[in-house]
Amino acid sequence: MFKPSDKRVSMSFRSYVGFNDHETKAVDIALEENFIETLNPRLLPGEAVVAEAQNVLMYAPLSEKQGKSGILTVTNFKLSFVTTEERHREERGLQENLLLGDYDVCLSNVDEVHQMTGDKRRKMLPGNNISGKVKGLYIVCKNMKVIQFSFKFSPPNHGKTVTNALLHHAFPRKHHLLFAYDYREPYYNCQRAVSMFRDSSDWNKELTRTGAVGWKLSAVNQGFQLSISLPEWLVVPASLVDCQLMEAARHFRSSRPPVWCWSSKNGAALVRMADLQPTITDSKMLVIQPSVIRHSGLSNIVPEARTQENIMLENVRKGHPQLTQPELMELTQDLPSPKDVYNSYYKLRDLCTPDNVRQFWIQDNHFLAQVENSRWLHTVSACLGKANKAAAFLKDNVTVVLQEADGRDMSCLVSSLTQLLVDSHFRTILGFQTLLQKDWIAMGHPFSSRLGHILNADVQQSPILLLYLDCVWQLLRQYPSAFEFTETYLTTLWDCAHMTVFDTFLFDCEHDRLAASRDASKPIVLRTLWDWGEVFVEKDIALFRNPMYNPGKFGSVLNSYSSLPNLALWSQCYFRWVPLLEIKCGGAPQIDLGLRALHAQIDRLQEQLAEVKAGERTTNHTVCTAKQHVTSFFPFSASTDPVSPGLLNSTLALNNSFASNEALLDSQSLLNAPD
Amino acid sequence: MDRKSVDFEAGRSKDASSDSLVSDSKSSSLNSKLGQESASSGKVSYTSASTASIGNMMPPTDNKLRPKQQQPSIVEPGQSTSRPDDPPLLPGEKVMGVAREVTYLCPYSGPARGVLSVTNYKLHFRSMDRDTPYVVEVPLGVVSRVEKVGGQSSRGENSYGIELFCKDMRNLRFGHKQENHSRRNVFEKLQQYAFPLSHKLPLFAFDYSETFPENGWNALEPIAEFKRMGVPNDMWKITKINEHYEICDSYPAVWAIPAAATDDDVRAVAAFRSRARIPVLSWIHPESQATICRCSQPLVGVGGKRCREDERYIQLIMDANAQSHKLYIMDARPSANAIANKAKGGGYESEDAYQNAELFFLDIHNIHVMRESLRKLKELCFPNIEESRWLSGIEGTYWLKHIKYVLTGACRIANRVETHKTSVLVHCSDGWDRTAQLTALAMLLLDPYYRTIKGFEVLIEKEWLSFGHKFQQRIGHGDDHHSDADRSPVFLQFMDCVWQLTQLFPNAFQFNETFLITILDHLYSCRFGTFLYNSDRERVQENVKQRSVSLWSYINSSIDNYRNPLFLPHHGVLEPVASIRLISLWKGLYCRWNPGMRPQDPVYQRIRELLVLKEQLEKQVDECKQEQKARVSRNMPTPPRLASPVRS
Repeated sequence: MFKPSDKRVSMSFRSYVGFNDHETKAVDIALEENFIETLNPRLLPGEAVVAEAQNVLMYAPLSEKQGKSGILTVTNFKLSFVTTEERHREERGLQENLLLGDYDVCLSNVDEVHQMTGDKRRKMLPGNNISGKVKGLYIVCKNMKVIQFSFKFSPPNHGKTVTNALLHHAFPRKHHLLFAYDYREPYYNCQRAVSMFRDSSDWNKELTRTGAVGWKLSAVNQGFQLSISLPEWLVVPASLVDCQLMEAARHFRSSRPPVWCWSSKNGAALVRMADLQPTITDSKMLVIQPSVIRHSGLSNIVPEARTQENIMLENVRKGHPQLTQPELMELTQDLPSPKDVYNSYYKLRDLCTPDNVRQFWIQDNHFLAQVENSRWLHTVSACLGKANKAAAFLKDNVTVVLQEADGRDMSCLVSSLTQLLVDSHFRTILGFQTLLQKDWIAMGHPFSSRLGHILNADVQQSPILLLYLDCVWQLLRQYPSAFEFTETYLTTLWDCAHMTVFDTFLFDCEHDRLAASRDASKPIVLRTLWDWGEVFVEKDIALFRNPMYNPGKFGSVLNSYSSLPNLALWSQCYFRWVPLLEIKCGGAPQIDLGLRALHAQIDRLQEQLAEVKAGERTTNHTVCTAKQHVTSFFPFSASTDPVSPGLLNSTLALNNSFASNEALLDSQSLLNAPD
Repeated sequence: MDRKSVDFEAGRSKDASSDSLVSDSKSSSLNSKLGQESASSGKVSYTSASTASIGNMMPPTDNKLRPKQQQPSIVEPGQSTSRPDDPPLLPGEKVMGVAREVTYLCPYSGPARGVLSVTNYKLHFRSMDRDTPYVVEVPLGVVSRVEKVGGQSSRGENSYGIELFCKDMRNLRFGHKQENHSRRNVFEKLQQYAFPLSHKLPLFAFDYSETFPENGWNALEPIAEFKRMGVPNDMWKITKINEHYEICDSYPAVWAIPAAATDDDVRAVAAFRSRARIPVLSWIHPESQATICRCSQPLVGVGGKRCREDERYIQLIMDANAQSHKLYIMDARPSANAIANKAKGGGYESEDAYQNAELFFLDIHNIHVMRESLRKLKELCFPNIEESRWLSGIEGTYWLKHIKYVLTGACRIANRVETHKTSVLVHCSDGWDRTAQLTALAMLLLDPYYRTIKGFEVLIEKEWLSFGHKFQQRIGHGDDHHSDADRSPVFLQFMDCVWQLTQLFPNAFQFNETFLITILDHLYSCRFGTFLYNSDRERVQENVKQRSVSLWSYINSSIDNYRNPLFLPHHGVLEPVASIRLISLWKGLYCRWNPGMRPQDPVYQRIRELLVLKEQLEKQVDECKQEQKARVSRNMPTPPRLASPVRS
């Protein structure tokens, strides 16, 4: 395992350099150069430096006065900034990524590169070459982080070189240029718990777990003969034979006929399928108003397609033990398109990435109206509402069929959100990951396109995954003890979606993944993100577990409060890069850590009680009360300053002891336990 | 069904908003609509079983933990007159009028038929037509206006009845039968007992005779509180110059002032300050000795009058803090308002006259602006919420923006005192509204004592009650001038700011949301004497302490209901960020009548369970240890004691 601190330079010098723009004197530079020699970015096996700039200033967020000096490097994996600054993250207990340094950003996370000239900035087009001087860079990341560099002390052309390298390597045009293909760290998959849904056994397991009847596993898509975006194993109505399915599939967009996702104990199923294939001439019209066409009778759908759809739905009905008519829910019309979601996200991101302090306070004046104007929360509300509705049908033992354009975007979101509401298994960490594998990855959500791993003007980048995580966060906020995971887990998941080391969110579909892993010339090693130990150490993983989790407390079905007044903006995920909003000793982490400490105290008392009862001489444990000197963004932080670190260590020690003791969660069983 | 209920709500909210302005004409259509749709309203299904049975009148917050104030089970033993139909009564409470076959028009669950009773304390409605009785209770102190709706000739179901407009964000509609003046009696009783002062009747607080183990009237002992802060000391002294309220009738009897100030100085300064509210000590930093003092505006006037004694007195305040050669004067008003006040003889300190003093305006608007803002907020929150424009709607009320400015001001004051170690003098015009908000909030940020339950009670007694925030005028206890321009939600706004802080710092406060809401409920209820009258002088004159019960007696007698299980006592100075991004609407208060709103986080329930578990374990460990010790001592060759039965 790669050790992060190996190459760390421990020497430090004047840390915060206050430079005024016009006083570009040769202050300290001579002094610095001695150290710069020894600064190197940490490279992973297979990672290579593409370009480097020396004596770069990295500005503290929202500050153009204070900066750290160091070297800026573009590799085939990341944009790396290395400084001689002392590290504070460890002391502060902040999350540490084993594959990225404190000031590193994965290339795939880079969304926009701007050139700074004085106070003005100009967006630069990916792939372009800059020939003039580059004074400064302003980089906006997909996870809303903003980083700003200045080259005013750098040797000539260093800024330009790094900028050009970034404009090329952060926006590759071919998938095999992503770092995952070059990463050479040996990998032994020790993650077996999460079902990947690549083999029939995973699907069988899920069919057995849900007790589904009327559905069967079909090998019709072996070799992706039926549909390129569906998995090789499909669960389909038991009454269908494969050739019927083949015949019907070609009438659906992306050849996606109805396939099974989930069954309730009573036999109602959750099913998803694509819209019908329009006739070739009118394909545009279908995209615009599919529903109008469907109901108006002016169908430009081939009548045979409609017949095939009906045959399919009839077979879905037959899959229900009471032969109840399924409920068809159209998503294309009722929910925003991927483009709408992207626009919404873009406006939201604008609100969360103010240029400077002044703009921050200007935005503050009309913040609520601007949030409304972004329509992000409206979209969250609509998605939650849809899932509520689907869950209500399932609860009434009615099969739900989700239908959407290609069946690969909102279907993933609504189906998995619905399953979170109706099946408590998916509210565990393991279950949640299994759900992502099943309803997103196996079912072919085009992650590569939507996350923008590849530069391609023909595909729409859109953070559907973030929208989903936001919906889940709203549920978590409404039912804080119903989920095994924390918001930190969800936020971290979004960060890691942009790490092109793992295959989990790297491909558009299983077909592409399989092809890449079997490619003789440059085979990719499949590393799953669910092997969290590859990225984070135990203390950080411990924070993924919700200390409030109490699985017995809620019935199997949750009902989300989807109306807008019941929703909130996800401050940890969206505000954590804005230092002005970071509150010392405040925010939700206080509740989280307070509970962890409480669990630890109970833990200790248990041990003590056992000792006393066993007649052992009692060692007098001092039950330490944890003081949580952490900020509202913990385990993230917008500021680069330490906040009184000493006290934190004790808290974290307590956390670890909690992580190893889940049995304590059920207080009742503990109370009734025999002596 | 989904779509239907959405349409239904949209329609209702439109009707309802116009309804609040013109109560008669439109309401009949509203009612018939309610009648038809109530059965299909999807909203009801959101409520948990407990809220549904009690009705929408119980706040959805933490029902089990709410004190039994709204469902009193204690009936005075002497009351043999109570009949089975009577509502549960508090000691000293009497039924004054009853109307049968009344329909309560609930905006959420539709009409319910039942009995309406009016007592000298509350309105009580109990449904008869539902399986689980549906109860609505409103203390009459909460009512700001009672209106008749419709006349003998009104048509349509439930078009004839009574409508109540309340100070706690809700309105209630009752439909009566159109025969025999069926509403006349209860209407009259409602008028009398909702507005007793307008009808020469006593407030309920003076009839209420319940006793509690705790005596809340002792919450604030001024001398002890000064002592806690280390006053008197070299620089500050305690003076009883106002013992008989002769210098300033809206100030407390005991003050702390600079030790060097003479009685003559005090008199001279009083003459130069609006309503004689001279600068006196509110809080002193235990280490730096930087202080927060409060006062009213100087009587500068258009001519720019000066007062040597006032200037010298301000200098004394500055000199009392050896750490700094500066003093910040925080004028809570927008500068335009401060200037405009010169025309009325008031104004602000010029930096020429007050050397070493720096003046800041905090841009907080006056009571009229705040009243209007809350009115808009009520329109937005009750009865139904228009979802698609919710956020811009909130922004349009400016309520959160006002909160932000108050918090910003308090943060600035706290920051000057803590970081700059410099004393701050706070005033507005009269120094009893915005000034109270600012000093109390700054003290809450600086001093962890005020974040405890008892400490917060002291804070309210001190900064609000003793310094003469005119509760009587601002709330309008017992009088029927509902449009009185002196009414304003200044204290509510302060409590909202406190709530915002509790949200930002979940473990810094000993009290929970229920505590804040209970205080606000009884701010209006007139059940306790605490918030009656405008000043200490009036309360002393009226023997309030002798004749009524303190709200703190009630709260402190069941203090566990109000504890925040996350509280960690060792918190230093709070440094919040007053950005609208971190300020949220207090839905648990303003939207609490709406069953479609999410109830309070069950997190606290979970934490309480764990705390109980922890206590039990601690006890078990202790017991085992005791037993072990006993066993050990028995085995020792020490003189045998009379042992308890031995367990083998």
